[in-house]
Amino acid sequence: MITIALAKGRLASESAELFEKCGVDASVVFEDTRKLVLTSADGKYSFFLVKPSDVPTYVEYGIADIGIVGKDTLLEQDKDLYEMLDLKFEACKLCLAGFPQRKSQLTHPHLRVATKYVNTAKRLFASRGEEIEIIKLNGSIELAPVTGLADMIFDIVQTGSTLKANGLVVLEEIFNVSARLVVNKVSLKTKADVLLPLIEKMRKEIEE
Amino acid sequence: MGYFNLPSGVQDLLPEECYNLNLIKNKLEKKFSLAGCIPVSSAAIEYYDTFACIKNSIAQERMFKMTDRDGKLLVLRPDMTLAAARIAATRLTDTDVKLSYVSDVWNYSTSESVSQREFLQAGVECFGVSSPLSDAMTIAFAIECVKETGVQDFIIDIGHVGFFKGLLSESSLTEEEAEEIRRSVNAKDSLSVQMILSRSKEKKEAANAIMALPTLFGGEEVFARAEELTKNEEALSALHHLKQVYAILKSFSLENYISIDLGTVKSLAYYSGVVFTGYVKDFGTDILSGGRYDSLADEFGKSIPAVGFAMGLKRCLMVLERQGKLVKVPDPDLIILSEPGAESVAYGVYRAFTAQGKIADFFTGSVEEGKKYVADKKSEVYLATKEGLKSL
Repeated sequence: MITIALAKGRLASESAELFEKCGVDASVVFEDTRKLVLTSADGKYSFFLVKPSDVPTYVEYGIADIGIVGKDTLLEQDKDLYEMLDLKFEACKLCLAGFPQRKSQLTHPHLRVATKYVNTAKRLFASRGEEIEIIKLNGSIELAPVTGLADMIFDIVQTGSTLKANGLVVLEEIFNVSARLVVNKVSLKTKADVLLPLIEKMRKEIEE
Repeated sequence: MGYFNLPSGVQDLLPEECYNLNLIKNKLEKKFSLAGCIPVSSAAIEYYDTFACIKNSIAQERMFKMTDRDGKLLVLRPDMTLAAARIAATRLTDTDVKLSYVSDVWNYSTSESVSQREFLQAGVECFGVSSPLSDAMTIAFAIECVKETGVQDFIIDIGHVGFFKGLLSESSLTEEEAEEIRRSVNAKDSLSVQMILSRSKEKKEAANAIMALPTLFGGEEVFARAEELTKNEEALSALHHLKQVYAILKSFSLENYISIDLGTVKSLAYYSGVVFTGYVKDFGTDILSGGRYDSLADEFGKSIPAVGFAMGLKRCLMVLERQGKLVKVPDPDLIILSEPGAESVAYGVYRAFTAQGKIADFFTGSVEEGKKYVADKKSEVYLATKEGLKSL
């Protein structure tokens, strides 16, 4: 049996659609149920729906053989796993954003940056040799510059409409992120007979 | 109550766990000595500089540090291979030697999901010989050792860092970019490899070969695919070496345990040739890791080629538990109770049975208490009386 960790929400349904196209019976993912472990009718696949940030953990420990999760989550966690495919969907950008007039302060010595991507932000600014104060938030990051909690934010931007509605703009685009297929290092080798053909099918499917 | 807790990342081993772990340990120690390995034990506390001031240094955040009375920094041994290399280079006159050990190493892990920080490792380091046969024999021995522990459904994944090194020597990447690529190749992250390569504007052939690395894994057919990718001599000679190792393993009829992955590029500062990792089906992490490190002893003043591996014994224990192979701590073969005044009879019986290799438990409480003690045990029970020994 192949176990698959999926990030709850829209990413899960897009992932399930991709699996269906690759011959995996993933219809159970669409069922409205409170079950935590969903097994396909043919018994060959088992799906876990977990919080996006928990997908890499399930895969790293080998509880799930494979998983689908955003690159932003992978950047933040730095887990020991194989990152094998860019699935292209859920594309967005990790950006620095703030009020337009703040742009000149990009090199301000005591810049305060609000983000939920603390590790990624630390690495980013360290690589630039800039000292900043990072303020960890868990949601509604845009509120931070609006209320004066932070000078700017480091967050994913999909359409930019929340930024715009609050008078904020993208100051700098840092990373392109999208959904990635991650694979447990042991499973790839010990379940190669099933996983390799599946990964190949997925690769072809996204290329089309 | 806080005083009775343990710090995170370390555990007590309770009787059943400890009993099974000892079984594995004993089996391996016997196996090691049957293969001509000589056991060594290194000091658990060493100078920080031994591990930090060498070229193949261990990251300082990984080490448990203390201060000595003279102000020097000490660490809890973070790595057994370095310790063995230090012993071979500085303490032994005969450097054609196979050393074995069963020791703890400590890792002051900083990862967010606090994992283990104390690892019991059993390993072998073979010094002196640098040939495909010594690599193959070490891998064959690693397979024997995993089998010896009772672990089933495992494979040994082999690679060679020389192939990657050769490909890199063709490129104009900086050291930093090379390390970034190594990490990405190791994560089979083709996209990042591609991004770094396009940034540094590599020649097409070198770039194509490096980009193919994350896909160069599988069975024997990998060799042919890899050969087509490059004309670099270092890379091809590494490939040739690995092919020889594989051919020897095949002649030992061990090919069913072997898979090949040229994209497994462990730390370049440490490893110099063949690398290998042991994986068990349905167990998410490796249980064995090893390779060739011909320049490691250089740091300690002597150049000795070496190849070796270490197994994580607690991980083996977890695998055995999942595979349903743990055993119960056995009841004693016999329990001896003694009436007042018959203690010398009981002691004689205890001595006689233990001399035969039987587990004899001399119960030192009263006969009454002894009868309660033996109630749930499958052991034979003897009662020593002034008149002699009675079976109960």
